[in-house]
Amino acid sequence: MGAAYETIYFKADACDGCNECMSACARAKAQSDDQLQSRIQIVPSGEGFELALCRQCGDPECVLNCPAGALAKNAGSGVIAWDGSKCVNCLLCTVGCAYGGIAYDAQAGHVIKCDMCAGDPACVKVCTTGALKHVKTARIYNEVGNLEDLFAPGLSGCQGCNTELIMRHTLRRIGPDVVVATPPGCIPGMGSVGYNGLTGTKVPVFHPLLTNTASMLAGVRRHYKRMGRDVMAVALAGDGGTADVGFQSLSGAAERGEEILYICVDNEGYMNTGMQRSGCTPYGAWTSTTPVGERAHGKTQDAKNLPLLMVMHNCAYVATASTAFMQDLYDKLERAIEAAKTGFAYLHIYSPCTTGWRFPSDQNIEVARKAVETNFVLLWEFNPRDGLQLTHPAENAKPIDEYLEVLGKYRHLDPDQVEHIERTLANNLARIRGFAAAKGTASAEAGRG
Amino acid sequence: MSAVLAPKPAKAESKLVVCDGNEAAAWAVSLANVDMVAVYPITPQSSLVEYLAKFIADGRLGAEIVDVEGEHSVLSVLQGACLAGARTYTASCGPGLAFMFEPYLRTPGMRLPLVMTIVTRDTLTPQSVWGGHQDAMSVREVGWVQMYCESVQEVLDTTIMAYKIAEHHDVMLPVNICHDGNYLSFGAARCELPDQAEVNAFLGEKDVNWHVALDPQRPMAVDPLTGGAGGPGPSAFVRYRKGQCSGMQNSLKVITDMHEEWGRRFGRSHAPLIESYRMDGADYAIVTIGSMTGAAKDAVDAARARGEKVGLVKVKTYRPFPAEALASALAQVKAFGVVDRSVSFGWNCGPLFQDAITAMQCAPTRIPAMSFIGGLAGADLTVTHFERVIGRTKELARDGRPAATVWLNEKD
Amino acid sequence: MHHAHYLIVGASHAALSALHAIRLHDTEGDVTLLTRDDSLPYSPTVLPYVVSGRSDPGRVFLRDEAYFAEHKVNYLRGANVRNLNAGANAVELADGSRIGFDKLLLATGAAPLLPPIPGLAGLKFHVLRTLADALALREALPQVKRALVLGGGLIGMHAAENLAKGGVDVSVVELQPHVLSGYFDAEAAGIIEGVFSSKGVHLLTGKSVASVAAKGAGCRALLADGTEIEADLLLVATGVAPVTDFLAGSGVATERGVLVDEHMRTNVANIWAAGDVAQARGFFSDSRIINGILPDAVDQGRIAGMAMAEDPGIKTYAGGVPLNTYSFFGEQAVSVGVHEGALDSSGVEVKKQVDAAAKRYLKIVLKENRLAGIFGVNSAFDPGIMWELILRAIDLGDEKLAFLRSPQDTARALMSRNWR
Repeated sequence: MGAAYETIYFKADACDGCNECMSACARAKAQSDDQLQSRIQIVPSGEGFELALCRQCGDPECVLNCPAGALAKNAGSGVIAWDGSKCVNCLLCTVGCAYGGIAYDAQAGHVIKCDMCAGDPACVKVCTTGALKHVKTARIYNEVGNLEDLFAPGLSGCQGCNTELIMRHTLRRIGPDVVVATPPGCIPGMGSVGYNGLTGTKVPVFHPLLTNTASMLAGVRRHYKRMGRDVMAVALAGDGGTADVGFQSLSGAAERGEEILYICVDNEGYMNTGMQRSGCTPYGAWTSTTPVGERAHGKTQDAKNLPLLMVMHNCAYVATASTAFMQDLYDKLERAIEAAKTGFAYLHIYSPCTTGWRFPSDQNIEVARKAVETNFVLLWEFNPRDGLQLTHPAENAKPIDEYLEVLGKYRHLDPDQVEHIERTLANNLARIRGFAAAKGTASAEAGRG
Repeated sequence: MSAVLAPKPAKAESKLVVCDGNEAAAWAVSLANVDMVAVYPITPQSSLVEYLAKFIADGRLGAEIVDVEGEHSVLSVLQGACLAGARTYTASCGPGLAFMFEPYLRTPGMRLPLVMTIVTRDTLTPQSVWGGHQDAMSVREVGWVQMYCESVQEVLDTTIMAYKIAEHHDVMLPVNICHDGNYLSFGAARCELPDQAEVNAFLGEKDVNWHVALDPQRPMAVDPLTGGAGGPGPSAFVRYRKGQCSGMQNSLKVITDMHEEWGRRFGRSHAPLIESYRMDGADYAIVTIGSMTGAAKDAVDAARARGEKVGLVKVKTYRPFPAEALASALAQVKAFGVVDRSVSFGWNCGPLFQDAITAMQCAPTRIPAMSFIGGLAGADLTVTHFERVIGRTKELARDGRPAATVWLNEKD
Repeated sequence: MHHAHYLIVGASHAALSALHAIRLHDTEGDVTLLTRDDSLPYSPTVLPYVVSGRSDPGRVFLRDEAYFAEHKVNYLRGANVRNLNAGANAVELADGSRIGFDKLLLATGAAPLLPPIPGLAGLKFHVLRTLADALALREALPQVKRALVLGGGLIGMHAAENLAKGGVDVSVVELQPHVLSGYFDAEAAGIIEGVFSSKGVHLLTGKSVASVAAKGAGCRALLADGTEIEADLLLVATGVAPVTDFLAGSGVATERGVLVDEHMRTNVANIWAAGDVAQARGFFSDSRIINGILPDAVDQGRIAGMAMAEDPGIKTYAGGVPLNTYSFFGEQAVSVGVHEGALDSSGVEVKKQVDAAAKRYLKIVLKENRLAGIFGVNSAFDPGIMWELILRAIDLGDEKLAFLRSPQDTARALMSRNWR
């Protein structure tokens, strides 16, 4: 498997054309105030702005075009480096680049291009609108890309299933020294435990009951620990089995500090059995047991805040995550794995369900992203020492309509219901911020509770 | 008392204690060197788990103890541990057993050799915290081996034997040792603790998950979906079920062998499946189960002293049901009465009675039988009660006309 | 006889690009690369800079031994192909040895085309196509006071600049009315010529050489108009022609170059050609042309490599677009596409901005609202984006005026929106 690289991401609709990035680049790279000497170029485009910047292409044409061997892609960093001692100023590289990423700088007298500032790009640091981001997700690929996918190919999840993505990512990172519990739901439903003698998982896996995932795992982990073997106990469970009927065993295991990594894949209902309501189904949502008719308009209660409940157990680690923010998810997964060596780690991952929520199967990550960007889902983490902190800014949230309107399950909402949802989100945010402000104090109190 | 004292083998270093059945069970668990105990307290089991906690706290028993949040998790933790290779133990009863029913139901199908004491208790409702077999009897068709003890010593000995029976490769099924709430749980008696080395030699190396495991060194999927009516069909399911039934039937021999070996090693024998007491030349018999048997035997002794040709058959192993042994023990009587400490709601009789008459199907002629129900809600079954049973059964032997179920403590 | 699954004759841009494409898809199949040279691969384009001393001849190589080892490539130096036996799937080398192949890529490039000037054959003169040529020329320079360059194309002009910078009195004779006629019109070329003249280079355009003869250690040329030029050094840079001589009788169809289809395949099913040797379809015409530029060689090489490796991601060759970049005395000239004269005049718009004093020139040629050509001297735009605008035939729509006013920014915005 090849390598993946960090990159600078540009979000055109967030750019306000302040050109600070160009100034920063010119200063950093040419000690100049002349924006023409910037290697990143923002150009006006109608009402908005667009970008010309080296993409650090995987198969760079500029390098192939160079007759002097002055350009080369660094296999370690992925940066296409320019060697002034070899360059003959022929400009053929500029012919090879379809992105305006390498261009002649008349002041410098040679071509210039982005070198990613050795992994700390000056342009991104000065961007206040979020239009430029230094995306480091490549690290995930480089670290786990060569690790074996511990689920077999061909799991029978629905097309575009987010849960399958979560399963494969998490187990790949966790590795083979593990026992995996997948209580009834979509996860075993897609064949992870198997069917008639064939299994979809390459590590020990089992079907606990819907009710006893955490306690069965506790037994597994405790015995291996007693035997001096470091075997991880991991749950990949749906929100129904976690928040509702499985909550007692979950709560007990968390209170006892069982050394388990419990991953709740929250698709906001019992999707495997035909999209019934769960305790995690949000207010207003259509499900097959909260249908929409003349007298009923979806669920009439708010979802229970399960991850916050787990904070109140003073778990070694609690976090919420989303597949639209993989870097954040992997960071949290890493901390959860570490925490599960000495205590109960709980990871709550939001998993939009194309089938049950009614949206096109190619939109899963976009839906997940919108959930976070509208504050419908708040990303945060908690440990007893540092307390709770938001890991994704909740300021400047997009209007909730942008999320609700892409999901069929909310198509029927009336303005009052939308207002209820807005109020709920505001309350959730206020509550989480309250915990975040309290930092370690909150956890200490939780510990005494 | 059923224990027949015989000269001890010289090497066994046993010692005597006076303890109740709950403590005896805890001693047995300690001697069996279990790896993990999961507990949740409930009357009349609570002192049993307290003894265990104390033994572990004192370092007498080197097991992991998990104080879980409910009986459902008790059995779930132990299932997980067993799949990882642990020898396990727990005890419960009544409402606790009802609450653990979901994982309880599943244990035999996974062929996990868990050992669990049911300190028997009547089920709710009416509200009651007293002894009675209704809890254990309610789960008689789930697939656990069930053995009912008569004495404190038998509790201790049977609990140790239970591990060897459960873990036997021909069986691989969970075992319940049932001891009567109140009477055995709290009744103190002289009890002999067998020598640890000898117990170790008897039990041998534990081998609990050779057939099904959650172990990264032997990766496998545990309990994947089997076929149904469509697709690949139900054959895998049927084979599993049939295998489970075979394990139950195999256990009759294994239980017998283990009791025989126990007698040889420890000089103390217990009847493995059923015990026939004064059945020589008996015209009629009474059938008992559990701790009531002591009083019943006294009543039979008294009747025999009066010249009555009455005998007694005690059922120890209730699941699997020792049908052949019982049929053969009762083959020569003209009538028998069965005393149950629980009821079968749909049949308006005791469940043991039902099993007994079913077993007698293979007798050459139909033998009249009657059901007696007593000892509910912790009621004492005394010699007087058994005299009534003997008298009514004698009548039945004479006229061959069984009457409706007799409720022994109705007016106590 | 060695038998290669992929045999590549040549080791410059087209060959290396094909090799790269093959190895992206087939990491194992035997690849053998043949080069006439006795060195690692290099680009002819770098040679003028070797002559000038800007490029260290030891550091101009495009690949090293480690690359070939890592990619399991059998790289054979000094391997001069004498002929091809297409029927037998084998080539014969000058030393008589033979190499078999399953698939063959002809990437032999071009060689200097010598003009039929009386007296030239018996004369000592220089050309510039190989590293050996460059080193020979560089070695000769210290003794040179006057030089004569035949040909005002890119090689001739580069050489003239280098010679002039070295203090040599240089004359350039060009048959066409202006220099760099392949890429620039008279007006743009006029700016370039002005710069050269200001640096003391004598540009004799629209002139032909009637004869040359030896004079002492140097030479004397007589032009058709009667002018006589004496020089210590003669450089012939009047053009190049595809190296196809070894294909005689092979059955591989050639015209001026090797004829190839849109996947760079010749008329022989398992033989491909790419780069300066190939005659492939042009973007602006149906006829097959020799585009003869480095970026096109890279493109063609990639397509040929993908075809040879049966890479399903292959794309059809869009057709050669003339383009080039040219730096001279610190000034820049860039040409992408065709001039209005090469187009059917309907729907053609031309916008030109010239500031000769500032040595600035910009011409944009649109055809039916789409870019057809853009030419600049000291005018900033991204040739790669312009090339892509042409290939994608992007309709400029409402942005035409913005494009004509500010081609660089507008093209960048179009790019960012259309193919970011």
